[in-house]
Amino acid sequence: MAYLNVDEIEVAIETLARAHPSVTELIQLPNATSEGRHSHALRIGPPDAPGLDAVVITGGMHAREWVPPDALVNLAADLLEAHAGGTGLRYGGQRFSADDIRSVVGGMQLVLFPCVNPDGRHHSQTSSDAMWRKNRRRVDPNLGPRCVGVDINRNFNVLWDFRRHFAADSGVSASTDPCDLQVYVGPAAESEAETRNVVALLDRYPGTRWFADVHSHVPAIFYNWGFDENQTTDPSMNFLNDEFDGLRGRVDRAYREFIPEDDLRTLKELGGRMNDAVTAASGAGYELAQSFALYPTSGVSDDYAYSRHFVDNRRNKILSFTIECGRSFQPSWADAENVIREVCAGLIALCVATRARAIGPAADARVG
Amino acid sequence: MADGDVHRIKLRAQTLEELRAFLDGSGFDLGCRPVVHREGNEFVVEVYAPLPEVDRLRSARSVSGVDVTVVENASEVGRNRQAEVGSGNRFAARQALRGLGIKE
Repeated sequence: MAYLNVDEIEVAIETLARAHPSVTELIQLPNATSEGRHSHALRIGPPDAPGLDAVVITGGMHAREWVPPDALVNLAADLLEAHAGGTGLRYGGQRFSADDIRSVVGGMQLVLFPCVNPDGRHHSQTSSDAMWRKNRRRVDPNLGPRCVGVDINRNFNVLWDFRRHFAADSGVSASTDPCDLQVYVGPAAESEAETRNVVALLDRYPGTRWFADVHSHVPAIFYNWGFDENQTTDPSMNFLNDEFDGLRGRVDRAYREFIPEDDLRTLKELGGRMNDAVTAASGAGYELAQSFALYPTSGVSDDYAYSRHFVDNRRNKILSFTIECGRSFQPSWADAENVIREVCAGLIALCVATRARAIGPAADARVG
Repeated sequence: MADGDVHRIKLRAQTLEELRAFLDGSGFDLGCRPVVHREGNEFVVEVYAPLPEVDRLRSARSVSGVDVTVVENASEVGRNRQAEVGSGNRFAARQALRGLGIKE
């Protein structure tokens, strides 16, 4: 095998959908990319029905991170083949029983969007610029060819206007410069087709209660929030409260982001389950930590998914993770296969844990 | 090596504050996410930058207490890895991909 190119990703999930029509649906995302590509996601599990829980998992948001899209396509193929054959699944020392597989495929909706940013991936895999990260939209036609693209994972509508919301000296990982090669946030929140496709997927599955965005590399499993250090005691100190604009992201603790204690406990427990599976699969675990560490982030996917409930409490609460898999952006394919096994083991463990119903988001916790 | 190639660089420091002082305002590519991890008693962060920027880092090292190690030419690694990307469309015949998990 070798890394999937963008055409192969599309055909691979389409073929899986055709081979397993009773438990899948191929979903065309509504927005074409700037290079005219139409992206698809794959739903595994029962058709839409009220009360059905969903897990949404995305990959390929950053072009140079080649392993995540392959991992998600592999995950779909493994789950569907095992389910059809009535078998379990094993990755290294991590075993999932046939009942585990049935509980995932038969009892919930698993929505996989393997390659959010196909234009960027195509550029990274075929041009001299393999380290390309952003999408490929030319936001300002007056600027040169290096000033192309927006960082999809800074374009979500959560504290997107970082200059207003964060302290000037916070070092927030974001830029308003279209020529910034890494973290240009775009001309507006959700300005990019790729970002809107992820939002559309979350809107389409209102039963979503868990979200994971697979990136590379650290390796680590990160949970909310990325704005500032978490705290569980002062609900008024939250991302919606503009009294704290200009204070977020500093190390001085003038501001820390509120997270309900139950959510934090659940995030840690689910993250631990994923990490146990990763460790069993490969022999080496990932770091499990809050996503805020060295510098804060704005407009990222996992915080957006979790924020939706606090912005509009009619929406489900979506506990969210970013998985930073592996130890390099583009490992050899032989090494990539091991990373794929780790990712598949971790994500199936997440689904199995959520199916067990022992773990779920707190029923309600609002920020003021 | 091509002009503008980006190198993967590992920075080590005894404290988080040293790393921040070193990185603040640098505009370096901090990889996917600006995170730091522990290796033994040290804080470690990886950045991606062209070699001239690496030289600037090294000159700054004497005042920052941050150890700088160039790991690899990441751009070159990426270009070499392009040989390991599928060509054409291996699934054009609509044969389903099989995953790496063992079904048992």
